Amino acid sequence: MSSGTEATTADRKSLAGILRRLPLEVAGMVIIVVVAALLPAVVPEYQALQWTQWILYGLLALSLTFIWGHAGIFSFGQVAFFGIGGYTYGITAINLINRTGETFSAVLAAVVVAALAAAILGYFMFYGKVGDVYVAIITLATTLVLFTFMESTAGPKYAIGEALLGGYNGMTGIPTLSYGWPGSPATPLSVTQTLAIVVGVAGIIAFGLHILLRRPFGRIVAGLRENEDRTQLLGYDIRRHRLIVFIIGGSIAGLAGAGYAAWGMFINPAVFSLQQAALVVIFVLVGGRTSLLGAFVGAILLQSLSTSLGGSDSVFTPIILGGVLIAVVMLLPQGIVPTVSAIAQRLVPQLRPRPPQLPVPTSPPEQLPLPTKSDRVSPQSGPLEAIDLRKSFGGLTAVDGVSLTFAPKGVHCLIGPNGAGKSTFFNLLVGRYRPTSGQVIFSGEDITGREPYQRVRQGFGIKLQVASLYTNLTAFENMWLASYAKIGNTKAATQRAIEILSWLDLIPQANHFAGTLAHGQRQWLEIGMVLATEPVVILLDEPTAGMTREETLRTVDLVTLLGKHASVVVVEHDIEFVRQLNVPVTVLHQGRIFAQGGIDELRRDEQVLEIYLGRGGDNVEA
Amino acid sequence: MQADDLINLALSLLTNISVLVIISIGLAVIFGMMGIINLAHGEFLMLGAFATLTAVRAGLNIWIAMILAALAVGVFGLIVERLLIRHLYGRLIDSMLATWGLSLILIQGVVLIFGPSTQGIRTPLGDVRIGDYSISQYSLALIVAALVLLAIVFWVFTRTPYGIMARASTQLPSMASAVGINTSRTNMITFAFGSALAGAGGALLAPMAGVVPNMGQAYVARAFMTVVVGGPGVLTGTSAASAFLGSLERVVSSLWAPFFGQAALLVAAIVLLRFMPTGLSGRWGRQL
Amino acid sequence: MSMSEELNERRKLSRREFLELGAAGTGLLLLAGCGGGQGGGGQGEIVVGSVLDQTGPLNIYGEPMQDSTKLAVADINNKGGVLGSKLKLVSYDAQSANEKYTEFANRLALQDQAVVIMGGITSASREAIRPVIDRTNTLYFYNEQYEGGVCDKNVFCTGVVPSQQLDALIPWAIKNIGPKLYVLAADYNYGHISAEWVKRYAEKSGGEVIGTDFIPLEVADFRSVIDDLQGAQPDVVVSLLVGGNHIPFYRQFASAGLGESMKIVSPTFGLGNEQVVLAPSESQNITVAYPYFQELDNPTNKEFVDRWHKTYGEDYEYITDSAATVWNGWHLWAEAVEKAGSTDKDKVTEALESEITFDGPSGLVKLDGGSHHLIQNVHIAETNENKGFDVIDSQQSVPPSYEQEVCDLIANPNEKTQFTP
Repeated sequence: MSSGTEATTADRKSLAGILRRLPLEVAGMVIIVVVAALLPAVVPEYQALQWTQWILYGLLALSLTFIWGHAGIFSFGQVAFFGIGGYTYGITAINLINRTGETFSAVLAAVVVAALAAAILGYFMFYGKVGDVYVAIITLATTLVLFTFMESTAGPKYAIGEALLGGYNGMTGIPTLSYGWPGSPATPLSVTQTLAIVVGVAGIIAFGLHILLRRPFGRIVAGLRENEDRTQLLGYDIRRHRLIVFIIGGSIAGLAGAGYAAWGMFINPAVFSLQQAALVVIFVLVGGRTSLLGAFVGAILLQSLSTSLGGSDSVFTPIILGGVLIAVVMLLPQGIVPTVSAIAQRLVPQLRPRPPQLPVPTSPPEQLPLPTKSDRVSPQSGPLEAIDLRKSFGGLTAVDGVSLTFAPKGVHCLIGPNGAGKSTFFNLLVGRYRPTSGQVIFSGEDITGREPYQRVRQGFGIKLQVASLYTNLTAFENMWLASYAKIGNTKAATQRAIEILSWLDLIPQANHFAGTLAHGQRQWLEIGMVLATEPVVILLDEPTAGMTREETLRTVDLVTLLGKHASVVVVEHDIEFVRQLNVPVTVLHQGRIFAQGGIDELRRDEQVLEIYLGRGGDNVEA
Repeated sequence: MQADDLINLALSLLTNISVLVIISIGLAVIFGMMGIINLAHGEFLMLGAFATLTAVRAGLNIWIAMILAALAVGVFGLIVERLLIRHLYGRLIDSMLATWGLSLILIQGVVLIFGPSTQGIRTPLGDVRIGDYSISQYSLALIVAALVLLAIVFWVFTRTPYGIMARASTQLPSMASAVGINTSRTNMITFAFGSALAGAGGALLAPMAGVVPNMGQAYVARAFMTVVVGGPGVLTGTSAASAFLGSLERVVSSLWAPFFGQAALLVAAIVLLRFMPTGLSGRWGRQL
Repeated sequence: MSMSEELNERRKLSRREFLELGAAGTGLLLLAGCGGGQGGGGQGEIVVGSVLDQTGPLNIYGEPMQDSTKLAVADINNKGGVLGSKLKLVSYDAQSANEKYTEFANRLALQDQAVVIMGGITSASREAIRPVIDRTNTLYFYNEQYEGGVCDKNVFCTGVVPSQQLDALIPWAIKNIGPKLYVLAADYNYGHISAEWVKRYAEKSGGEVIGTDFIPLEVADFRSVIDDLQGAQPDVVVSLLVGGNHIPFYRQFASAGLGESMKIVSPTFGLGNEQVVLAPSESQNITVAYPYFQELDNPTNKEFVDRWHKTYGEDYEYITDSAATVWNGWHLWAEAVEKAGSTDKDKVTEALESEITFDGPSGLVKLDGGSHHLIQNVHIAETNENKGFDVIDSQQSVPPSYEQEVCDLIANPNEKTQFTP
C-alpha cells in the first residue's frame, strides 16, 4: 500500500500517475492504441507477418480462456467458429470487394455469422442441460462434422457467388484487409499496418473482457463456474448466462478466423481438424487457464517455438514440442502467467492484491434485515400449497399423494424416517424434480412447471442439505452474489451483503474464503445468502446437519425469526431441534402423510414411534 | 434382396461394429474407469501395430505376435503410468495436455525408428465365397476377436480380485482406499490393462490397415465418440455404442457414400448426447 | 484476480494492472524488434530456399523430397554452382501445417532474401505459398504431382499432371485390359478433378466409366467399396486413392481375391511408397504411370541412383517420383539462371519460358514456356516382387496438353488462377 502523502504527490505528477488516475477503461485503451500505433515503426515486414498470425491465434485462445477459464465452459469447438469466421470472410470479401472497395464489411459478416453459429449450438446445448464433458464432445463432434463437410466441397459447383469453397485445397484468392469506397478499387493494407490493427483490436478485446469480468456480469459468470447449483438457486438464469458467454466466445473466435483468412489470403478445412482443436486448448493450458494475458503468451510461445524449430534442420521438432507440453503440465500446472504472477507477488509486495476495504457498519443491526429497500418488483406472498403430489422413479414411488398447505408466515417442519420421501418432496417444492402428477401452487399460481431459478425469483429461498457455497470465493463475495441477484445494483448489493454478514456475526470472516469457514458458519452463511434473495418462502433441508449443540440452538433462534417474516418449510432429522422450534409438524412415511400436529403429542404417539424405531409391522427398511 | 446379399450386409455390419469395439475398448477402460483423457490412445494402437510388425518380421506366427504386441504395449502403458499418468489423476484437462505431448513424441519416435513408410504385414487367412461375394476371412476373425476382447474384459472385472477392486475404486475412490484397497496400485494395473487392450486393438488392425506412424490419428476421434456415447459402463456402453454407431455408419456409407457415413456417425453422437447426456449405459443405469 | 478488489469503486487502474499492461506492451515492442532466423548468405553465395513437410503426416512425401533437395543443391554446387557462386540452401520444415508455409515462404523472401523458393507438397500448401510469392515478387517452383491447371507467372510446376499421366495410362488400360472402368477417388480436389479426366480419356479411347466412389481421406475402411466392385464387376479399377489411410484398400482388395477378375491401374499408387508398406502379394499386378521410376535404365538415372545410395544408404526404401521431380526443378532453375546470366526474377523467368531442357534421371525434360509446366516422358510400369516396379511401356515427351490449351503466360502474363475441367 502506498505509504504517506509524499509518495502520492510525486506519483501524481508523473505520467504513470496521470494515466492511473484516468478511468480504468480509458487508460487501458490509450496504452493499447499507443503500442499498436508504434509497432509498424519498430517491426520489420517479415516479422510483422509472423507476429500477426501469432496474435490471431492468441485471440482464438483468448476466446477459450474467457469461456472456459472464467465461465467454466470447456468447448473443444472454438476452432469451429474460427473456421466459420474465416470462410465467411473469404466468401464475403471475394464477392463484395469489387463492389464496396473494402473488406471490413467482410470482417463484420464473419463475426455475425460466427456469433449466430455459436447462438444455435449454444442454445442446443445449454437449454438442453448438457453437462460439462459432453459439451466438450458435442463441440468437438461439430468441429469434425464441419471438417468432413468442407473437405468434400471440391469442384466448381461448390461456390457461393464468386467464391469457390475449394474443398480440401481450400479457398484461395481471399483479399487481405483493404479499405476504400464503393466504386473505387480497394487499397490493401500493408503487412505492418495489418499487424498494427490486429494488435490494437486484440488488445482492446482482451482489455474489454478484463473489464467485463469485473462487472456484475463477469462476477455472475465466475459464480457459475464455481458452483452451478448455487448460482441457479440464487435466481440467476444460468442457461442464458452460459449462452451469452458462449456467443461472445464464438464471436471472438470468428473475428480471429476472419483475420486469419485475410492474413494468409487463403483458408482450408485443416482449421477444423482435431489437431487444431487440441492446439487451442494447449495454448490456453500452457499460458494459464485463468489468465487473459496467458492466452496470448501460450499461443505466441508455442507458435514461435515450433517456427524456430522448423528453421533448424531437425527431425526432433515434434519430440521437443511434446516434451515441452509434458514439462508444462508437470512443472507449471497452473500455466505460465499465473505461476510467474504468483512468484512476482511473493517477491514484490506491491504487486499483491489488496484486501478490499469494506464499508463496515458501526454496530450490527438489531433486527433482521428483511424486507429490503430494493426497487425491484416486490414478490407475491401467498400460501405455498402442494396438491396431491406424486413422484415415481421407475418402479419406486417416493411421494405418493401428498397435499399440504403452508401458511404465508410461520415455520412448518417435515419429519419422517429414512426413505419417507422427505427429500423427494422437498425437491418437488424446489423444482429440481417434476412431479409425476399433482401440482405446486404458490400465491394462487400454478408453478409446477417452473425451474428452480424462476421460483427463486418469485420469492423462494432455498437451502439444500449439502452446504452449497462458493468455496473459492470469500464470504463477502458469496453474500454479494446473493444480494445482487435480487437488488441488481452493485453498491446497494454491497451494502446489503455487509448488513447480513454483520447480522450473522460473520464480519470478521468477510474476506476469508468460504471453504475455510467452520461448518456451522458455512451453514449460517448459506442461510444468510438465502435471506439476501428476500424470500417469502424459505425451504431448508436439514439446516442443522453436522452442527454442534451450541450452533443448533442459535439456529433455532434464527429459524424462529425467519418464521416471523416468511413461510419457512424445514425438513429435519434432529428431533430435539424440532422440539425447540415448537411449531406444526408433519410426519411423512412411505411417501404419504402419516401424522400431523405438535411435536410433543407426536412423540408420544405409538404409531409414530413405530415407524421410526421399526417396532413390529412391515415398515423396516433403509 | 438375395440371401447372399443379406449375409454379406450382416457380416459387413458386424465387422464394422467389431472394429469400433476393438479400437474403443482400451479407451473405455482408461477413460471410463479412471477419468483420464488419453489423447495418445491412437498412438497406443499404433504401437500395437508396429510391435506386431516387428514380431512378425522376427519370424513369429502372427497370432502369437499379436498377443506379444498387446503385452508389450501393456508394459509400456505401465511405464507411462508410473512416470506420467500417476501425477494426473483428478486432473482431467491436464491429462489431455500431457498425453497430447506424449502422442507427438511417440509418433516422431516411431518415425525415427521405422521411417515414415515401412513394410506392413499381409492379411492372414484367405477369403471365402458366399454367393456372389468373396469375403475376407480376416474380417470375420475380427468379429471373433471383438467378442474375445469383451469376454476378457468381463472376466477380468468380475472374476479377478483386481477387477473387483478396480470397479470399487472407480465408483467410490475415497471409500475404496478407506477399506484398504491400494488405489495407486489398482490404477496402475488399470492403465496397463487399458493400454494392453489398445495394443491388442492396433495389433488386430495391423493386417488390415496401412501401418504408418500416424495411423492412430484416424481412429482417435471415433474411439472417443464411441466411448462417450457409450457412457460409464465399460462393457455395455462400448458394445451398445459400437453397435449403434457402427451400423449407422455402415448403412449410410452403403446407401450414399462413405463421406455421409462419417458425417452420420458424428451427427448421431451429437444428437444422442444431447438427449442422453450420460451415454447409453448411463441411461440404463449400468455400471459395467 | 480477486473479484472483490474492484468493489472499492476505485475504477482507476490499479498499480498492478498498470504494471501488467505496461510490461506487456513494452515486452511486445522489445520482442518485435528482435531478429531471428538463419540469416542471409555468406560472401558470394546465392541464397535459395525450400519449404517442405519433414514432420507430420505428410512426411511420407516430404522426406524423399527433402533428401532430393539437399542432394540437388549439392550436385549443382559440385559442378561449380551457378554464375560462379555456390548456392546456400535455407530449408524449413512446415510440419504439415499450412500457415507455416505462409510464414516460411515469407521469411525466405524477405529475411533470407532467397532468389527462388521451391516447395509445397499438397495443393493446399501451394495455395498458401502463392499469395506470398505474388506479393513479394519471388520466383516459385512447385515440384510435385498434382491435379493440374495452375496458371501464374511466378509459379513453375514440374510435377506430372493428370493430362499427362492419365492420357498415357487410361488408353493403355482400355486396350490391354478391358473397356469397363470403375473409379475410386480420394474425396478431395485432386480426386474429383482426376476422376473427371479419367472419364474424358476413357470416352476418347472407347471405354466407359461404370461407377465412381469418392472416399474421404480419413477413411480406412473399404468394405463398402469392395462390395460395390463385386457388384459392378469392372475390367479395370482406376485407383485415385491417396495417403496412408487408403493403403488398406489394396490389402482388402487382395484379401477378397478380386485380383482374379479385375486389375488395378493408378496414377497415385507408389507416390507414398505404398508398395513398400504392402507385401508383394498384396500389391501384385498394379499398373502405374509416372515419369520416373528407380528402375529406369538410362545412364543419367544410374548415376543418380548411385549418388543417392552413397549419400543416403543402400537400404533407402525407394526413390519416389517426387524426389526426381524436385531434382528436375532445381536443375532446370540452375540452367535458366546460367542462360539468363543473372538471378533476377524477370530475367530467369524469361529464360525459363524459352524452352529450357534438362537431361534428368527420368529422361529429357523440357519446360513448356507458355504453360509453365513440364513436357516429360511418362512410363507405364507394373509392381514387381522387390517392392519396386517393372517398366512395361514408355511414352516420350508427353506434353501437358490441358495446361497448354488453357494457359499461355507469355501472351497473358497477368493470369493468376487455377483452371479445372
